[in-house]
Amino acid sequence: MADPVLASMVRATGQTNARHYMAATPKIQAYRDSWVKLAPLRDGPVNLQRVAVSDLAATTQRIKDKAMELGANMVGVCRLQPHMIDLGEDVPHEFVIVACVAEDYEKVVHGANAVEEEAMRVYAKCTEVATELASYIRSMGYPARAHHNGASEVQAIPIFYQVGFGELGRHGSLINEKYGASFRPGFVTTDLPLVEDQPREFGVQEFCMNCNVCQLNCPGDAIPKEHVVTHGIKRWLIDLEKCYPYSRLRDEYCHLCVDVCPYNVKSHPETYKAFMKERKQVGYKTPKSW
Amino acid sequence: MEKLYVNEIRLDGEVSTVGLFYSRAEAENIVAQLQRLPEKADCRYEIIEAVAGLSSTNPPKQRE
Repeated sequence: MADPVLASMVRATGQTNARHYMAATPKIQAYRDSWVKLAPLRDGPVNLQRVAVSDLAATTQRIKDKAMELGANMVGVCRLQPHMIDLGEDVPHEFVIVACVAEDYEKVVHGANAVEEEAMRVYAKCTEVATELASYIRSMGYPARAHHNGASEVQAIPIFYQVGFGELGRHGSLINEKYGASFRPGFVTTDLPLVEDQPREFGVQEFCMNCNVCQLNCPGDAIPKEHVVTHGIKRWLIDLEKCYPYSRLRDEYCHLCVDVCPYNVKSHPETYKAFMKERKQVGYKTPKSW
Repeated sequence: MEKLYVNEIRLDGEVSTVGLFYSRAEAENIVAQLQRLPEKADCRYEIIEAVAGLSSTNPPKQRE
């Protein structure tokens, strides 16, 4: 188990693995197996006949179109920077492409298992997209490596931020204007010359300063009131010791901080209201105006 | 569990939080890794106990 906090908590329960991982349904296990199977294909031989890049914008658009054709809903590009790479790892590429697939928010009204199955389905799709996209770029004659749940050396959040997908929310995930935090990523690092996207802000950090809905709906009380600042960006650091008893050390999935976020209301107004009505009935806080 | 912040202090005095860690050994390991990075050569690091802002301020919730 790579996560030392989780490993320590699991050991304290006398188990060898987190209960949540052991309780996977066959369908969820099949999704997990799918990204393990694709891991050996994340890198490979590069076509010796390189396609010349004369128009960077057109090449970037071609790559983004390909990712969308493969099933992504959002694609972004930025230069790969040291803070985006896992400590101790070396990724010898200039750029990173992130291809995200949106989750079906409607699953929230069908319970935790439906939400988890959807999350795993999307992660599996992201794995396919990243693997195919890396292979496509290598066929153009440029090195490219896919990063996904099966194997990765990159950090999602700083890349999301840099490509302009959104801003960090109080719940620790990045909030996008259209999809809230209900999306999952796959990445490709490459030397193919590309045009970078830029960070984009639309008021999330100010909104999260006043909205405490995720904090007040967290069953483990793991979302802090106070933020820290990292390189000028507000971050709310989730207390994993409080999160894991609900998200890893029990059978059921927990995705509540993302599901209750009011940024879901724009794209799914009726479902969000129905879901929050359920939350209110079991004693949790809903947005002030409702 | 112990809770510790690792802060990065730049030459100009800007303080930036690296993260929250749950043991001194883990925090010290992160600091050692960061100190090996050439671009962080001018930075200092501090490990401080996380107290304010992390302790629960909410009433206990019913278990889901």
